[in-house]
Amino acid sequence: VKCQHCPPVRALQASATLRRAPDEHKKEPLTSSSQQHFDSPPAGHQPEQEPRGTHHSYTGQGGQESEDYESEEQLQHRILTAALEFVPEHGWTAEAIAEGAKTLGLSVAAAGMFHSDGSELILHFVSECNTKLSKLLEKEQKLVQLGEAEKKPIDEFLRDAVEARLRMLIPYIEKWPQALSVLLLPRNIPSSLSLLTSMIDDIWHYAGDQSTDFNWYTRRAVLTGIYNTTELVMMQDSSPGFEDTWRFLGNRVADAMTMSNTASQVQSTGEAVVQGLMGAAVTVSNAETSRAMR
Amino acid sequence: GGGAALRLCSTRVAQGGINKPVIDRIIRVDHAGEYGANRIYAGQMAVLGRSSVGPVIQQMWNQEKVHLKKFNELMVAYRVRPTVLLPFWNVAGFVLGAGSALLGKKGAMACTVAVEESISEHYNNQIRTLLEEDPEKYKELLQVIKQFRDEEQEHHDIGLEHDAEATPAYSVLKTAIQLGCRAAIFLSERI
Repeated sequence: VKCQHCPPVRALQASATLRRAPDEHKKEPLTSSSQQHFDSPPAGHQPEQEPRGTHHSYTGQGGQESEDYESEEQLQHRILTAALEFVPEHGWTAEAIAEGAKTLGLSVAAAGMFHSDGSELILHFVSECNTKLSKLLEKEQKLVQLGEAEKKPIDEFLRDAVEARLRMLIPYIEKWPQALSVLLLPRNIPSSLSLLTSMIDDIWHYAGDQSTDFNWYTRRAVLTGIYNTTELVMMQDSSPGFEDTWRFLGNRVADAMTMSNTASQVQSTGEAVVQGLMGAAVTVSNAETSRAMR
Repeated sequence: GGGAALRLCSTRVAQGGINKPVIDRIIRVDHAGEYGANRIYAGQMAVLGRSSVGPVIQQMWNQEKVHLKKFNELMVAYRVRPTVLLPFWNVAGFVLGAGSALLGKKGAMACTVAVEESISEHYNNQIRTLLEEDPEKYKELLQVIKQFRDEEQEHHDIGLEHDAEATPAYSVLKTAIQLGCRAAIFLSERI
């Protein structure tokens, strides 16, 4: 059975199945012969045999994927990226994913590849935002290294980084509370936590943090707190341009700086007091000794 | 259908395709080890600093300080997180050093022998792991670990030279300390 409408080479079994469900029953007679076809030919021949070969198993051909083939992961990424456009209208749902799949010329059944609560869509979005933030911070760092920009003080750097990251939520802000609740599902917590911690670590890395002691943890915990609270404030913010949120953010960062200054002040005061006491003790003991010797 | 597991792209840039989990563990545990060793010698100096073995301990301590500084640099370069247990190793190391020193000069030396033997064995394991992975890719790290292993071995020999084995209950003390070291290594690799 030859297929007249050859799918684009980039399709693989998942999308191929979505396109030609009626041909399903014709699968069996072809499998053995198509397997023989694929044992010997070099990668270049595969696209031509693709119409008959689409029924082979995903791990057929010794598990090889030629450069012309898109992996399932890449396909899923493409669908999810396309789906983001429909989130403001449909929310983080299978409908948005279905619409996204449609724009790529795939069947709406492609949404069946994902969970119905939109977990993967949200996690994909968060991951993309984090990548964008990393690239932005790296670019800024290069400018500073080339001397084309001033190195920002820490509080300004942190404020700008968190603001840049939160601004990426603005197009989706209406539906973001829904996304937050999905991210808190027990099933998603490992992934969402890992994305959050690596984003915070990135920000501190580009801020120039070089701590190798417990400060490493303190700083990240503080910044995570600042980020999360500011995100929640943003959900409730109706001021023009989210200025209330940015003011809140500025205050929290200033608080954190004050806290760390206070902590180091307390420490140096403590050390000075201890030294003073030791000096006093030595003086008294010397006085006792000299009196005893008289 | 069904939710196929979606691997999310990491925001961290892979540094030239190194095996991040393995390097992470190695640097984290080595950093913790050198930090602990520093605290042990600090404890020993607090008790025996003015005795005849004071200069010997001070010299070994200075070398450990160099080791710690190197691992601090590697930790920043490879973006490895330090172990959460650092405050604990801070206290435990000092207590071990001071405690062993209170048993006398031989006691302090016995502690040194036990710890340095553990550390040398541990460094050898890491060298084996890295050689199995890719000697070329990890050349710099291998060099550092090899050099430090040699220096820890020297400390071990110095400890033996100073009558460590003459400590009362030497084998019991040594076994107990090495058990503690193994536990510390296990935990620091993971948390």
